[in-house]
Amino acid sequence: MGRMLAAVYDWLDERAAIRSLVRKGLYEAVPVRGAWFYTLGSVTLILILLQLITGIFLTLLYVPSVTEAWASLEYLKLHDVFGSIVRGIHLWSAYILLFVIGLHMVRTFFSGSYKRPRELNWVTGVILFVLVLGMAITGAFLPWDQASYWTAVVVTNIPAYTPFIGSFIRALWRGGDAMGPTTLVRTFGIHVWLIPAVLFPLILAHLALLRKHGEFGSYVNYRGAFRAREGVDVPPAPAQRPIEPPYPAVPTDELWAAPLQTEDFYPYQTFKDGLVSAVFVIVVFVLAVAIGAPLEAIADPSTTSYVPVPEWFFLPLDQLLLLVPQQLIPLILVLPVGGVLLMLALPFIDRGPERNPFERPAVMVPGAFAVVFIVILTLLGSGRLFNQ
Amino acid sequence: MAPSEPRRLSRRQFALLGTQLVAASVTVLLAIPIVGFLLSPLFRRAPTFEAKVGDISGVPDGEPTKFTVSFPQGEWTTANVDAAVYVVKRGNTYKTFSNVCTHMQCDVHWDGSLQEFLCPCHGGLYNIDGQNVGGPPPKPLPQYVHRLDGTTLYVENRFTESI
Amino acid sequence: MAVVIPALHQLAAQLPSQAPQGSNRLEAQAAIGTLFSIHILLAGLVSGAGELAPAIEFLGYARQRRRYDRLAHGLGRFMTLYFSVSSTIAILLITVLLVGFWGHFWSTILTIGWWPFFIEAWTFVLQVSLAYIWYYSWDALRPFKGVHMAIGGLLAVASFLQVYMIDIIASYMLTPTNPQNPLRLALNPTSYPLTVHRTVGNLAYIGFVFAAFCAIRYRRARDPEDKAFYDWAGSFGLLWGVGMTLMQPIVGYSYAKEIQLHTYASWYKMMFGTLSPVFLWQITLLGLMFIVALLYFTRRLRTDGAPGTGLLKLAIAGMVGSTVLAALPYHLNFTYDAVVAAGLNRPFWEGGLINPLGSMIPWKILALIGYSLIAIAAVVWYLRGLSGVVWGTARRGEQRLLVLSAVLTIAMMVTMGFIRENGRAPYLISGQITIQGQQNVQSAQPTPTPPPSP
Repeated sequence: MGRMLAAVYDWLDERAAIRSLVRKGLYEAVPVRGAWFYTLGSVTLILILLQLITGIFLTLLYVPSVTEAWASLEYLKLHDVFGSIVRGIHLWSAYILLFVIGLHMVRTFFSGSYKRPRELNWVTGVILFVLVLGMAITGAFLPWDQASYWTAVVVTNIPAYTPFIGSFIRALWRGGDAMGPTTLVRTFGIHVWLIPAVLFPLILAHLALLRKHGEFGSYVNYRGAFRAREGVDVPPAPAQRPIEPPYPAVPTDELWAAPLQTEDFYPYQTFKDGLVSAVFVIVVFVLAVAIGAPLEAIADPSTTSYVPVPEWFFLPLDQLLLLVPQQLIPLILVLPVGGVLLMLALPFIDRGPERNPFERPAVMVPGAFAVVFIVILTLLGSGRLFNQ
Repeated sequence: MAPSEPRRLSRRQFALLGTQLVAASVTVLLAIPIVGFLLSPLFRRAPTFEAKVGDISGVPDGEPTKFTVSFPQGEWTTANVDAAVYVVKRGNTYKTFSNVCTHMQCDVHWDGSLQEFLCPCHGGLYNIDGQNVGGPPPKPLPQYVHRLDGTTLYVENRFTESI
Repeated sequence: MAVVIPALHQLAAQLPSQAPQGSNRLEAQAAIGTLFSIHILLAGLVSGAGELAPAIEFLGYARQRRRYDRLAHGLGRFMTLYFSVSSTIAILLITVLLVGFWGHFWSTILTIGWWPFFIEAWTFVLQVSLAYIWYYSWDALRPFKGVHMAIGGLLAVASFLQVYMIDIIASYMLTPTNPQNPLRLALNPTSYPLTVHRTVGNLAYIGFVFAAFCAIRYRRARDPEDKAFYDWAGSFGLLWGVGMTLMQPIVGYSYAKEIQLHTYASWYKMMFGTLSPVFLWQITLLGLMFIVALLYFTRRLRTDGAPGTGLLKLAIAGMVGSTVLAALPYHLNFTYDAVVAAGLNRPFWEGGLINPLGSMIPWKILALIGYSLIAIAAVVWYLRGLSGVVWGTARRGEQRLLVLSAVLTIAMMVTMGFIRENGRAPYLISGQITIQGQQNVQSAQPTPTPPPSP
């Protein structure tokens, strides 16, 4: 049996060169310490793939029409237990994915993994974050129940506050001034085709860049970590550096280029990645079965009693909309846009080689403030919504 | 001064130039209908419909009363869409307000205890004349284009001022 | 003996037989108010220290710096020394003054908020025991720093939970909801804003106070390492103070928004009514405190010739502008109602008493945004300039500024307490129990049952 498998393997290797592919894929070096933190990237990937799969299967039933959308999902809810679970997974995986991306970004930010030569990795990552956010927003429109209709109304109204071109952007998205059938169909196309067409190649690029330079990990793995400590000598540079792809054989920056201790990706890191991913997937699954994806009453624009509640990742913006008076509303638009631009520019603002977050407060302190502000706004928003 | 040699197009240069030209022209050719299609909603005029609200003679003075009307949505769908109409009668005059808040377009309702229209999303307030008196809304409550035939009210699916 | 005993009898005959009736008297309110202010000024330090000191220990471990450890150790010592004073005043307040003067209110709030009080009592037990264990096991657990830091982490959690529980009660007093539902009680509209506001405030407060303490110690230190330590610790404390306080504008504004939405009368009093001059003073104090802190940053960098003073001076100019904008009064009278009654609600250049530049929207909001953004920029510029600073060389001016910023912070906290309690007056629980309704339990009128929440 084993000999037959080996023969098949050899046959494939001669024709498709899989042996070197497998070796490259599985046996690259990753840093040893702090490995549990950088499992978050894998969790993000797994959850996005989960979204792709559940999303594809949902298109086997969902109809993007103002009359049929809600009806098709109501049918799913009443008559298809497994379909409802698939829909539940799609929803909860989306919520948890956004949370995990937030954690992943924070980890990458604080560890200084965006510095040379990994700037492009960070930039593609920020674009991916914006695209995933776009997926979450457009996906929320699709059920066309009360919750998604009013979410769609408010969300498509936000760009209307852009000076000069605001109402045009809104009309472009809605397919006119008012919400209508075009809005739903457009959003469906954006959600299923347009954004994924950009998202998945970009994910591949993000992963390819990761493989090119290797996982940075945590500053504690590097010679540079010893500099900041009182009375501790920096260990000498190893005279002969073993070649551990993908880390450079001749490091450009000896203190931060290659980790002091590495191990094989497979099976050590794959175990950690797998475990953390499994935990998150199980949480998603439990939530999908226990709570599931809610479907409220069908969209009714004439209602005067419905209280629209924003999605959890919109709470900071919603709290700002509550606090900011109408003259300063363009300021709210400046904040997310400016924030994304600042994030994109981060590797070019913080150019020094130092990776220890405690030794570069000029960047870490504003970053920490941004994170804390967002968390506080989310808390305040959630408290307010509970009392509505 | 020697006459300049006529410039000769090498095979390589021809292939380079040709690739670029072909790519550019195909892109432009495709881009025109695609971009035009994407931008087409900006140039389409939404059809206006009129719907009957009903007899408003029974509306009490100074108390906004909600009616629901149904408009066709146009485009390709046969389904109608409902709209809320708040009729406010003050002496001899009356106004027809919609339930769309001018802040973020959430649904507004008349709150009897506050004696004002309240938007639950961010606490926007409008008085009985539709003036935005509290919270973040920047404009007064939108009014429908309407007409009165005797005591029967008709509204169109558009506002007197765009929001 | 023959003289003493009749004298004692005479004295006893003059003492009141029970708690003074009419406990709405100003003396009672003044007594409770003063003691509560002192309690908060001390308890805020203890809670803040309980949260901040373990964080400083962790930072010291991550950066491998001995001074952080020494600072955290000092804060731990402070906690063990002063916990008892703060707790004693709390017990005195609660058992004697509140039960004696405001027995009806006290029994009502304890019945309504039983669970928060119960949990808070246990967090006190945790806080006290962990504070002592954490401090006294410092040297013994040095080889097991992880364990020690875990104990510190638990202490921080206990301190936070204690503040959260009492804030549930305090916020319920302002915006009561359905008391039968514990979730609605805990998540009443001003619960989250108040908790965030106070947690951030406590962390800032302890920072300012220990910075001032280190400033005073710096003057008396002789040993060069001591001088360097106190100099660094003063700067570090001020950084925490400013860093935490710059988040307060947005949190405070959210808090005021919730008050506006749920107890409009209190909000009106604070913003337009009899308390509006006091609130204006509060916002001015905030600006002054930021200016003093920025002056410290500038001076400290200049003392050692470190770069960045130019940008900081720009920040000070911006901060002065924001303070002026924040301090402008909207109506030039005691209350807005008086202005309207006199028919003078027009801009002052039209003969009225309104100053449009003092309006909340958009001028004061811009001032608040200015406070936060300029303070963030100043903190970042100061941190960047710190690489050129030699600890131990600070001059007297810097130390005076540290003490002044702590004084301003204390003034702010007392003013805030005054505004808070008087904003809700005459109610102790908004819309339900008034200060005047505080008779002893026997003669109490039954309180109307709180309406169920919508």
